Amino acid sequence: MSHNKKWIVLFLLPAIILFSFVYAISLIVLIGTSFTDWSIGSSIHFVGIKNYIDLLRTPDFIKSILNTLIWIVLQSTIHIGIGVIFALILARKKWYFKMARTAFMIPNIISSAALGMLFLCVFNPQFGAVNNLIRLFGVKNFSHNWFMDPRTSFITVTLTWLPFAAVVAILILAEMASVDEGIYEAAKVDGASEFQTNIYVTLPMMKNIIGTATVLAATSMLQKLDIIMITTSGGPGNRTLNMPMFIYKTALSQNNFSLANTAGVYLIALGLISVVLINKIYGMGKSDV
Amino acid sequence: MKYLKYMNQLLIFIFLTLIIGISIGPFLWVFFSSFKGNSEILSSVSGFPNGLKLKNYITAFQMAPLARFYINSIIVAIGGTLLNLVLLSMAAYAMARFDFKGKNSLKLLLSMALLVPGAALLQPLYITVKTTGLYDSLFGLVIVYAGFGLPTTLYIMMSYFLTLPKELEESAYLDGASFVNTFVKIILPVAKPAFSTAGVLQFLLCWNEFQFALTLTTGNNNRTLPLALYYFKSSFASDYGAMFAATVLVTIPSIIVYIALQEHVVSGLAAGSVKG
Repeated sequence: MSHNKKWIVLFLLPAIILFSFVYAISLIVLIGTSFTDWSIGSSIHFVGIKNYIDLLRTPDFIKSILNTLIWIVLQSTIHIGIGVIFALILARKKWYFKMARTAFMIPNIISSAALGMLFLCVFNPQFGAVNNLIRLFGVKNFSHNWFMDPRTSFITVTLTWLPFAAVVAILILAEMASVDEGIYEAAKVDGASEFQTNIYVTLPMMKNIIGTATVLAATSMLQKLDIIMITTSGGPGNRTLNMPMFIYKTALSQNNFSLANTAGVYLIALGLISVVLINKIYGMGKSDV
Repeated sequence: MKYLKYMNQLLIFIFLTLIIGISIGPFLWVFFSSFKGNSEILSSVSGFPNGLKLKNYITAFQMAPLARFYINSIIVAIGGTLLNLVLLSMAAYAMARFDFKGKNSLKLLLSMALLVPGAALLQPLYITVKTTGLYDSLFGLVIVYAGFGLPTTLYIMMSYFLTLPKELEESAYLDGASFVNTFVKIILPVAKPAFSTAGVLQFLLCWNEFQFALTLTTGNNNRTLPLALYYFKSSFASDYGAMFAATVLVTIPSIIVYIALQEHVVSGLAAGSVKG
């Protein structure tokens, strides 16, 4: 089938061009310009690793790394935990299975911009549902600006994504469906309670998929930009500033392209480190059998 | 023992109620509030003492060019999904079915796309799109979105093609069918499940995307729906009802697509993540 060679190339080429346009060229520009002093309307000079050092001396950037790290840790633990518990409950396939799964998925399938807007309304100091509820339960004239008060801004932003672990739950449920029913029956015959079965039988078998879900959850924290832009823009001050928001501000408000791209390289590096670390923790890639 | 069981049931009930409450509560609250007048929203009355009001929706369409944004979003979502599916089903077919030099390196290269967070690409893509004359055009967004879905679609397609028996094509070749003919007439018809699974995920990605729509367009002509909320946040600020209505209008299509094609979304998420 050697005459197929021409066709194989023609079939692959469009995808390779697409990849080059979106990823390859971008990565070359990103890494290349991180060693220059490129900003809008000026000529470009090579400056070595100056940007990399400068960034580490920028308090806003350090704050953005710290916030991103905290969010990665929270997402890898609490978010995953919520997803696992939800999956274990739904695995019993009760009457509410489909309804619960659909409802839980809603925050994950709507636009983050819209989700941000929903929460902005819910937490609105004047008419928001949260403050209304608190007033209803007795605190007269209660008014709290959840997103813009420095004491609550971080936790309020966190709440817009931390509980919504439907994707984690779906991954685990799919994996559970592939487990041989006999194993559960054997556990039942041995007199294990449902709780014991979950802890000692199901969860160990789910180790790999939980690891994969943790990678996805952790790396999703390197992408959070839209919801922060809609709700706080990283404020008040730099309270909720994360790395994507820092890059956006540096590139598009200050037009400091090379500095933004240096931050982009740091962002990719942080992603790689998280992936490797999580793989190590879960012992993935190694076969248990 | 019995006591413990009830306790267990109670905890499950509380957990589920809480999780589902915060998942759909905000949307339902905004949805119902979108039929209220400004004063009713501010005084937080429950129910609809003055009847359902559609006025907010009319105001929302008047305050922001929502119709234009809707059309743009539909064009970008359909275009980005079609381009993505066509290009990647071709590449996935070639990679799943044939051996050629450099195949593994190509696979590795393409899967690198998974490791690059979108925010890192903000400025470089802005420059590429600008120099190629695609800035502030719907076509530019279509290409960028088709690229963002590359790893997921490629993976779903490849795994599906690998499950198809080779005999399927061999008999076609024996009958003298060409490479392209075999792909279009034999493979594509049986690959429908892969197309719908990858297609739904890609459609939602295009429909919901915000940050690149924001950086790669300017002016109202080529903006998509999610941007409406951002740009008109301040103009809506005086008219809460219209703000609620606009939020509902942006959210509803995703929810409808999801509920209609739920099983595909679920199987797509499960398939797309088992890469490692």
